[in-house]
Amino acid sequence: MFIRKLISLALVATLAGCVTGYTLVQSGPNTAQDLRVNAGSGWNLAPAGFTMGARRGAQTWTQDGLFLNRLVLIPGVPDGETLLVDKSDSAALPAFRKNMLPNEIEELVESTLVKYFGEGNATVSTANLRPQMFGGERGVMFDISAKLSDSPDYKGTIGAFIADEKLYTVWYIAADPHYYDKHSAAADAIIKSATVVRGE
Amino acid sequence: MRLPAALVAAACLIALPGVHADDDKELGHLIPPGYVPEEANDEKGLWLEFEEMEAQMNKSALLVRDAALNNYVQAVVCRVAGAYCDDFRVYVIRNPNFNASMGATGVMQIWTGLILRVSSTDEMAAVIAHEIAHYTRLHSLETLRALRRKMSKGAVFDVFLGAAGLYGLGQMAAAASFLTFSREQEAEADLLGVKLLAQAQYDPHASYRVWQQVIAEEEAAAVKREEPGIFAKTHPESEQRMGYLRTLVESRYGQPDAELVADQELLDVLNAHYVFLMEDQIDTNRFGRTNAILERHAAMGVDPSLVRYFYGEMFRQRNEPGDTDLAMASYRHSIEGGNPPAAAYKNLGYLHLKRAEMDSARENFGKYLEVDPEASDRAMIEFYLE
Repeated sequence: MFIRKLISLALVATLAGCVTGYTLVQSGPNTAQDLRVNAGSGWNLAPAGFTMGARRGAQTWTQDGLFLNRLVLIPGVPDGETLLVDKSDSAALPAFRKNMLPNEIEELVESTLVKYFGEGNATVSTANLRPQMFGGERGVMFDISAKLSDSPDYKGTIGAFIADEKLYTVWYIAADPHYYDKHSAAADAIIKSATVVRGE
Repeated sequence: MRLPAALVAAACLIALPGVHADDDKELGHLIPPGYVPEEANDEKGLWLEFEEMEAQMNKSALLVRDAALNNYVQAVVCRVAGAYCDDFRVYVIRNPNFNASMGATGVMQIWTGLILRVSSTDEMAAVIAHEIAHYTRLHSLETLRALRRKMSKGAVFDVFLGAAGLYGLGQMAAAASFLTFSREQEAEADLLGVKLLAQAQYDPHASYRVWQQVIAEEEAAAVKREEPGIFAKTHPESEQRMGYLRTLVESRYGQPDAELVADQELLDVLNAHYVFLMEDQIDTNRFGRTNAILERHAAMGVDPSLVRYFYGEMFRQRNEPGDTDLAMASYRHSIEGGNPPAAAYKNLGYLHLKRAEMDSARENFGKYLEVDPEASDRAMIEFYLE
């Protein structure tokens, strides 16, 4: 659903000759609200309007274009809220709960991604759930793969941790195999660099 | 006893615009088996569009290629279609929603959500018979011509191509939603569908039972979909159709058997593919619908170990008050059933962990790794075991 709306928006923008809203992400520390990551070079911040369903403060970066790869930073989602915004209130998005265990966070992202790609238009599976430290916070990483009815397959790596009872996630999703592999190492480093900024 | 019911059925059908009580007696196929349209007319153009979409569908990552599942569906199609069997190419598409659709060329889509929702092969056959009737009554062509009367000649195909091009395959959804059948066409397909169903020696009562399932699930849904499946979108008057089909079938074929027994053929298909079918459903996060499906499967006799496991998944992810207890009991029942997915141990272990019942958590995590030593989340489980 969200991807399809994104396609429509991108086509409209392209036809209008106005695809100019991308800004270069500077190498080094970058923040999305209180979520900080250490960026490498070559990433571009997509205009907010291009990321349908994005929460306030979330950011989407890309190297080669949103259809090919994207890095999504979603800062602190409070207890009871969803990782995406559904104004129609019909998408049945799963909500984060502050007492979620790793398997539940994995399922939360998996179900959210089904909605992100379009319910009925995609199947999403997860694998390789593993522990990962994010600064001082204990969290998890896992891999995703998505099959879509009318697009290339996508692969991804997700980092997630809970801090101050809020969920922080960083998603790397890219067309499989070429574009996933192309920036996988760089994205992995960014995900592992994720921390919460407190009192600076 | 049958006369009053027949009169009621006739009255119901007369109430539908363009459909008359005697229509079903005369209603038949408009084209012969092996039909191909003439060159250089609008129908040929329509076929070319559907052929292009079928080529895309063949490449879809969501196409289910499992031979047993495809053979099951194909056998039902052929039994209902009879002499028309070779006219249809059936594509089973991995989509947890309830739908089937038919293109002008005989390209048929069956979504896995339909397989998950029928209680018998007769109900599967009822949906397929309805779709076959759309084909042999040339409803796509009729719809296209009706649209062309409303629009300029070129615009129809421009819109058609635009819809298909924007979304690529668009799962034929773009075309199907563009060529939405009218109420009259749906009623025709219902009537001819019942006839085909009975001719193929399937239970004609399945024609309305399948609607009863749709209505029951819709009532159980906690969150209504903004964009329902095509089947729902083009079949808005479920209750009315269920009602007139029931009256018609009972008047013509008598009362149904008192007890509905799921056939072993369908149970075998469900048991063999249950994990992926239900995982897709669980991922929709639509627990009211999932609960309705599970209740039906439990009543049908789908492998209790599998049904109980997914009850556990549903309760655990729904997480309403009392759900943790229900989920733990469901996982235990799944394990006691003797055929649990390995994840039953893992997720039971996680629930014990949440309750700080560490010994039970360790025991179930250990069992999980014993049953599935290649588990991809071994590192996570070992973290907790340590």
